[in-house]
Amino acid sequence: MRISKFLTKLFILSVLFLTACTSDDDGVAASKGNFENGILVSGEGSGAGTGSISFISDDFETVNQLIYKGVNTAELGTFLQSLAFDAQRAFIVVDNANSVTVVDRFTFESEAVITTDLITPRYMAVAADKGYVTNWGSTSDDADDFIAVIDLNSYTVESTIPVGNGPEQIIAKDGKLYVSHKGAFTTNNIISVIDLVDNSVEEITVKDNPDELFFNSNGDLVVLSQGRTLFDADFNVIGDTLGSISIINVNSLSIDTELVFAEGEHPSLMVLDNNKIYYGLSGEIYEMDENSTTLPSTPVLTAEGFLYGMEVENNNIYTLNASFSDLSTLNVYDLNSKEKVQTIPVALGASKVYFN
Amino acid sequence: MKKALVTFVLLWVCLLSFSQNDSINRLEEVWIQADRKLEKHSVGYKVITLNDSLIQRNPESFTALLRFNTPIYLREFGAGGTSSASFRGTSASNTAVIWNGININSINNGQTGFNSLTVSLFDAIDVRSGGGSIEYGSGAVGGTIHLNDNLKFSDKKCVKNQVVSTIGSFETYQNLYKFKLTDNKLALNFGVSYNQSENNYKLLDTEFRNFNGAFKNLGFNASGAFLLSNYSNLKFYTANYSGERFFSGELPNPLAANDKYQDFNHRNLLIYTNEVSMLKHEVQLAHLMQEYRFFDDREADAFNFGKSNQYLVRYNASLSIAKWYANIFSYLEYESAFGKTDQIEERNRQQLSQSFVYKQNLKSVAFFEAKIRKDFNSDYEVPFTHALGLKIKPLKNLFIRANTSKNYRVPTYNDLFWPGQGNLELTPETSKQFEVGVGYKNNTISVDIATFQIYAKDKIVWTPNGDLDRPGIWVPINLRQVNNKGVEFVFSYDESFNKHNFQFDLNYSYVQAIDERTDKQVIFVPKHLSNLSLGYNFKRFSFFSQQVYNGKVYTTESNSEDFLLPSIFIVNTGMEYKLLNKKGKQLIIGLKCNNLLNKNYVSQPRRPMPNRNFNFNINYKF
Repeated sequence: MRISKFLTKLFILSVLFLTACTSDDDGVAASKGNFENGILVSGEGSGAGTGSISFISDDFETVNQLIYKGVNTAELGTFLQSLAFDAQRAFIVVDNANSVTVVDRFTFESEAVITTDLITPRYMAVAADKGYVTNWGSTSDDADDFIAVIDLNSYTVESTIPVGNGPEQIIAKDGKLYVSHKGAFTTNNIISVIDLVDNSVEEITVKDNPDELFFNSNGDLVVLSQGRTLFDADFNVIGDTLGSISIINVNSLSIDTELVFAEGEHPSLMVLDNNKIYYGLSGEIYEMDENSTTLPSTPVLTAEGFLYGMEVENNNIYTLNASFSDLSTLNVYDLNSKEKVQTIPVALGASKVYFN
Repeated sequence: MKKALVTFVLLWVCLLSFSQNDSINRLEEVWIQADRKLEKHSVGYKVITLNDSLIQRNPESFTALLRFNTPIYLREFGAGGTSSASFRGTSASNTAVIWNGININSINNGQTGFNSLTVSLFDAIDVRSGGGSIEYGSGAVGGTIHLNDNLKFSDKKCVKNQVVSTIGSFETYQNLYKFKLTDNKLALNFGVSYNQSENNYKLLDTEFRNFNGAFKNLGFNASGAFLLSNYSNLKFYTANYSGERFFSGELPNPLAANDKYQDFNHRNLLIYTNEVSMLKHEVQLAHLMQEYRFFDDREADAFNFGKSNQYLVRYNASLSIAKWYANIFSYLEYESAFGKTDQIEERNRQQLSQSFVYKQNLKSVAFFEAKIRKDFNSDYEVPFTHALGLKIKPLKNLFIRANTSKNYRVPTYNDLFWPGQGNLELTPETSKQFEVGVGYKNNTISVDIATFQIYAKDKIVWTPNGDLDRPGIWVPINLRQVNNKGVEFVFSYDESFNKHNFQFDLNYSYVQAIDERTDKQVIFVPKHLSNLSLGYNFKRFSFFSQQVYNGKVYTTESNSEDFLLPSIFIVNTGMEYKLLNKKGKQLIIGLKCNNLLNKNYVSQPRRPMPNRNFNFNINYKF
């Protein structure tokens, strides 16, 4: 996702540049599609309706729901887990449908639907002409989880890389893959580092249920572990394991800094913007410097409703108040004033925000 | 609770001592039913009966039988998949299924899966519209569906056998054997059914077939009645079912489906009845076992399960007061239920219930019933419930009927005990309802039109913001208020000219089920629902056609037009011919075409229902 954001910025800059150059002649640059220069919100879907993607223009004036269905008259199914991007394409990962749908990221015209050799796919990273998709495998087997390697020319799974249980989010950087293992149907506490030269896998142990991860501006890997609730044999709650933000040196594969949350606190959602880390905890959003050695004690703001997705950009914080029985709501807050500046209906079960 | 039990028992021992010994008049034929409440306590209610020949014309599934013949909306996850009912716009746990008088909705989730039992072995299915918590307890809110075994004492000994064998599209094989014995002191029923299907129908307008949709099931029912003396009889009922289904996949990639589901049910009931003069006593003992196993991966041995055992003891008594044309009924019930799942350790829930019904006949022009019930439950407070029913016959064929009732649905084991999520603070959902109807009935025509209102409150809803201290955790809370208003209309016509016989049966219902919070129609409830059944017989030949229409269905709370299921209109048609038609011996062959118009339709998003398909059956009675 960081890569996509970087690419997006590059793209926006280039568009601005192009526009500036050509505005005297044509007035506007040739549009790449209806869904350029805006925000994409993906929703998982539920029994109430399909997973879907909503488009909101950068000026918040235009809002389109179900853009994939609108263009392709087909539904994506449930549960739409995540999107990945390269310069021209978007890859839509739907876990229950065992599918990765390839579309033009600006027109959303379908180019392919990959439905074979994927078992509960979750997230995808793109490097060169390959897509790397984390897969949970069978619910009843902790040992069959894998990364599917997709040839992005033929749109087929050309090979798989076996990994530990429950691979979740994935980043490709400098010839390596970094994978958080949230643990699928059970639990896990590792980060896999896969060398794409020989597919060798190294593991780093972190706190339980690592999910969000990204590289900070120092080149370190930042991982959010949620921790988990413990039950006894009769499923009575007997305690919690701790959550943390772990900062990992990727050369030595050691944890440089570990910021541990209080017992019973289970943070989720973490993003980086402008050298600041933002994370969610019990519906509240906290902000800290990426080099901070302590966790902040007070939240920067309280998100309205059920906080299920978050992004930060240009001093705006985008939060998703997800509904699984109806359209969800995208709320945009100004980080300076902490005021809510936009409220927009978006996809059913909305969970992710991407800048296109 | 013990004290209450002792008090009730003492009360009835006293009443017993006043009873006199007197012979009852026996008719030549006496029908015997386990459940007398439906017959006795439906004053002011509408009951429609689906007889065994109609049941056998719809062998596909219980879901299909109800969809084409009753005013109930069924939400089905593809043919043969999970299926739940909405009666008068109420939620899935608000339709109670009653087996020989006993509520068999699962204590784990409060529902009955309409594709997880076969009903071809039952002699009749009655569908009563309106609340019935007084008679049938939790979940009898929108209406009740009654699965009945009919036994008969007859002065003339009679033995009947029936074999029905059906071969259908998608490698569907359905077989049924029924045996009936009637004698003056003995009645026995016995039946066994086996069904299996690949169920791999073509998903219209796609390259796919229904994948992972196969099912097979075995059912065995038996019942018997023994006349012990002129005053007493003993009855037993048993129903057993074992089924395995695979849960089919949904578009866009049905091939992702990988689930398997097994059901095992055993239901046993023993009834002793004593009737002396005006006083009737009945003791019932019942045991119900239900178990499901859900395999997330059909190839693996691991599964999730839910299992429950329920034990019931009932004592029913009724007193008829001839000079007042009145009857008093008492129903006392003790239930102990044990439930567990792989996620929930075994829990025991006990309930003691007492209800009284007073029934008055006013010069055979007006009939009136007043009912009350109180439950004492070990887990939560169950509200006191009450109901009134009235029927007036001002003219020979015309009647006016009305009823009002308070009903409830208790929290399920899942609602209460789900680890980390169950909510022990839940209270039962309650609803108040009112109905007024007018009807006309003669030998050929039967009409009934009624308007109803249901005010439901504290509906239990699972929501991620249910517990403010733990946002994001899905928990059930008493949240929603829903007001239903609607009209139910039924018209039946049955006429014979010479050797021609015509039948016409129409159900139509209109329901506005409005969530008070959103002021919108609740999801998965169509406003318009209608089905029509046409029949024609001539000598040995008969023809029939069934059609169902339901209006569009919203799937989101805001009733977004982007997320809806379009209206459907589906036609089935069939014909039968009696190759052999002698007294005591009949051989009938039949051919049926389902979805004659080959419509692509869904009752759940992205799950197309079967394309046009056929079945051929042989029905031999001897």
